[in-house]
Amino acid sequence: MNATPGHAPVKSIMPNWVRNPQEFVGGIALMAIAVFALWASSDLQGMRGFSFGAGTAPRMFGFLLLGLGALITVVGVVTEGPHLAKYHWRGPFFVTIAILTFAFTIRPMGMIFAAMAAFLIAACGSPETRWKETLIVAVCLTTFCSLLFPYALGLPLQLLPTFMIR
Amino acid sequence: MGDIFTNLGLGFGVVFQFVQWTPAFLGGISIPIPVNILLCLIGALVGTLVGVLPGIGTIATVAMLLPITFGLPPVGALIMLAGIYYGAQYGGSTTSILVNIPGEAGSVVTALDGFQMAKRGRAGPALAIAAIGSFFAGCVATVLIALLGAPLTRIALAFGPAEYFSLMVLGLIFAVVLAKGSVLKAIAMIVLGLLLSMVGSDIETGASRMAFNIPELADGLGFATLAMGLFGFAEIIRNLDAGGETDRKLVQEKVSGLMPTRRDLKETTPAILRGTVLGSILGILPGGGAVIASFAAYTLEKKVAKDPSKFGHGEIRGVAAPESANNAAAQTSFIPLLTLGIPPNAVMALMVGAMTIHGIVPGPQVMQKQPDLVWGMIASMWVGNLMLLIINLPLVGIWVRLLRVPYRLMFPSIVVFCCIGIYSVNNAPTDVMIAGAFGLVGYWLIKHDFEPAPLLLGMVLGPLMEENLRRALLISRGDWSVFLTRPLSAVLMAIAAALLILAVLPSLRKKRDEVFVESEN
Amino acid sequence: MNWYGRSLASGFLAVLAGLGLSSQVQAQTYPTRNITMIVPFAAGGPTDVIARIVTGHMAQTLGQTIIIENVVGAGGTTATTRAARAANDGYTLITGHMGTHAASVPLYPKLAYHPEKDFEPVGLLAGTPILILARKDFAPKDLKEFIAYVKANESKVNAAHAGVGSVSNVSCELLNSVLGVKPIGVPFNGTGPAMNALVAGQVDYMCDQIVNAVPQINGGTIKAYAVATPERNPSLPNVPTTAEAGLPAFQAQAWNAIFAPKGTPPDVVAKLNAAIVKALDDENVRKRLLELGSVIPPAADRTPAALGTLVKSEIAKWTPVVKPVN
Repeated sequence: MNATPGHAPVKSIMPNWVRNPQEFVGGIALMAIAVFALWASSDLQGMRGFSFGAGTAPRMFGFLLLGLGALITVVGVVTEGPHLAKYHWRGPFFVTIAILTFAFTIRPMGMIFAAMAAFLIAACGSPETRWKETLIVAVCLTTFCSLLFPYALGLPLQLLPTFMIR
Repeated sequence: MGDIFTNLGLGFGVVFQFVQWTPAFLGGISIPIPVNILLCLIGALVGTLVGVLPGIGTIATVAMLLPITFGLPPVGALIMLAGIYYGAQYGGSTTSILVNIPGEAGSVVTALDGFQMAKRGRAGPALAIAAIGSFFAGCVATVLIALLGAPLTRIALAFGPAEYFSLMVLGLIFAVVLAKGSVLKAIAMIVLGLLLSMVGSDIETGASRMAFNIPELADGLGFATLAMGLFGFAEIIRNLDAGGETDRKLVQEKVSGLMPTRRDLKETTPAILRGTVLGSILGILPGGGAVIASFAAYTLEKKVAKDPSKFGHGEIRGVAAPESANNAAAQTSFIPLLTLGIPPNAVMALMVGAMTIHGIVPGPQVMQKQPDLVWGMIASMWVGNLMLLIINLPLVGIWVRLLRVPYRLMFPSIVVFCCIGIYSVNNAPTDVMIAGAFGLVGYWLIKHDFEPAPLLLGMVLGPLMEENLRRALLISRGDWSVFLTRPLSAVLMAIAAALLILAVLPSLRKKRDEVFVESEN
Repeated sequence: MNWYGRSLASGFLAVLAGLGLSSQVQAQTYPTRNITMIVPFAAGGPTDVIARIVTGHMAQTLGQTIIIENVVGAGGTTATTRAARAANDGYTLITGHMGTHAASVPLYPKLAYHPEKDFEPVGLLAGTPILILARKDFAPKDLKEFIAYVKANESKVNAAHAGVGSVSNVSCELLNSVLGVKPIGVPFNGTGPAMNALVAGQVDYMCDQIVNAVPQINGGTIKAYAVATPERNPSLPNVPTTAEAGLPAFQAQAWNAIFAPKGTPPDVVAKLNAAIVKALDDENVRKRLLELGSVIPPAADRTPAALGTLVKSEIAKWTPVVKPVN
């Protein structure tokens, strides 16, 4: 993954003393995750005599991450670095919706519907999509999967919507 | 020594068994059919084809295909299953190289340089060297099992919780060395991985940790689910960002040669050798040895290389060494199963399942009681590796051609395959959603230049480390000195400390140099 | 209401009735399509093996394929929750065991189902005896010495188990409570690693199902003190029963049984039960189950009612022994 982050000079919302916003924000986010984990594991038992409790290790790593996050944030202040990378919404949005659609429809609607829907929604994520070929490929892929998974591999996947089977 | 040859002879005899087939339409002429070889070939082929589907890792593939073998005679079933296993593993490497989706811990490392090679138009050599390295490692490991299987078992038994903990600490150090960029950020990612691995049920008390009463989280986050999100989905989203199509065109224009060049082979030979040795040793250790084989090999290559900066940017040795190590470890991980009858990992547990279905309960006497089975399996390992080479070298061309499919059609297909793959592992829609969420996390990580590979390794090593630490402390009644007083454990700890110093020193030096440069300016 | 409206209404009612009655109408011809059998453990595990052996024969009797769906997670309770919520038409069944349909009740206070309230018992498949095992060089030579040793060295001995809620864990809890001791329990991830530790001598003793242990005992890598069933097991004729060896209070068996969601029509249950009984009388099925060390239930224990009684008694048996998690 050679991310070449944000070459486009985005207007920075960061104050001037943050010289490496990427690290700065990254460090803060890690600290937030650490705090969240510490909160989520706060109800767990700590050390019980010499043996670890359920919460010992999560807290240990939680504090460690908190410290590392803080260090990275400090690095973000004292070193020079790239601006925050630019985020795009279209790709992430449609791909996520496609995945969620699949997850929510696979059980009630069966695989043919779920795979088709996920394919077409994901395809919306790219401006380069040409609908005719996309439809053809979607149909082919769904057919292929419908033959491969339940028949060739014998997986317990339901092909048709539940209401059609009854 | 003579024994070995008789035994291997027995094994190959089993594998090359011919069954006379007398079909009616030939009018009584019977054709000898090498049934077990065919089963091995079919197994390897099916395993490769399923393993290559993004979203389905080795364990999932073997679990999925296990029922297919139930109808076969025991020896045939196990030989086919072994074929499926190797095939699945190689298939997983293929997806790592082509689309950057590792299906299991071992192929995370392959993805690092393999995918970069593919981006530079060298997917062909990467796939080929993976097959060649695997084949070589497979041959060596097969001989090793035949020669030293029984004595090596002792190593497996000498490893108690304390030793495993030390080994996992060593593994974490490997994960640091793996990183391309900032060591600090790599360590942070490892710790994040460790933290994520804590989700689920506590091993000792059964208490649910950070699972928020979501039943699907009760057993923790699945590795494949996370890998699919952080690598697979995140990569897709990122490509959509930056005009994936133009990127792809560049790749297609660059495709140069399907096979490794003479220079590639010369460069990778020592790497393959080192990987094989390392993998063979680590594979014997049940419960976690094989996991760290591939990245131990990668770390070793990076350390011995004259120019370590090439690693992570499409260095062919970074594919050859871990692939060899992975395959060698996959092979030698059969040793505890064959000599003790104890499955050392999830895949081997499935193998035991297959044996029990056929009425064979493996135990320490399986070698004496069922020599045809054990030696047949050992022989079939070699045959299986040969099959892989035969199947995969010609397939390289096809896989590379797959990269020519326009990205606008490729990425929705990958999304669908990943979804079906993740769903079919546990039949759980929630797993698909979790993978989707980690896709967004992965996208964010890329934007902040955090590497997902150390995170995944932390995730894999976390439970092994915590559980063994706690076991060791329970058995020693809270005495922390066991990690240094037990000799094997102490050696591992010493290696870990030495490696850590080696890993941190260059970056400190670099910092100093940077400071130097700045002050000069 | 005009005739048109009335006929529409009655038609509607007929459809509703049809929907309601469909399960009864169906029962005469049941099964008409594939049956899904949820197995709450991984393919190849003891429960899965037993389920596959028996359903393989049942499918012949019923004339429909039985698809095995392995759903792992949370000691089998994930799968059992799903089965409890499935349609009660006889097309979704579950192979439960001692853990999912008895010990889970005291173990998980927040359990999303109740074995008695959410399931119709269909039939018992097989029992798997529990053994008391120890590393081969553990000092006590027989069960009497073992009891004395563990009581005297309570703070020194280590008992391995295969994870919280596993058969080996809850049966060991029962043994410890019978003995009145609280040794240190060392948790492992599954029976394989636990057995490995016992073979390597890292832990002192454990309780486990007979399937996993027979080859190790015969190979001399571990030793068995007793089998916790009323009768000796044919696969280990030299291992005494707990009653013979002096600890009659410790009786434990991991049993596997088929359950259907609550409200599955009785005639469907009867049809399934008949198929189970027929399978358990089949020579080949019996042979394969016995190879695993399983105990095949006698005719009287194979009825749905007998299974219901078993579940009730098992919940009562484990409730005082098993500590809740969280």
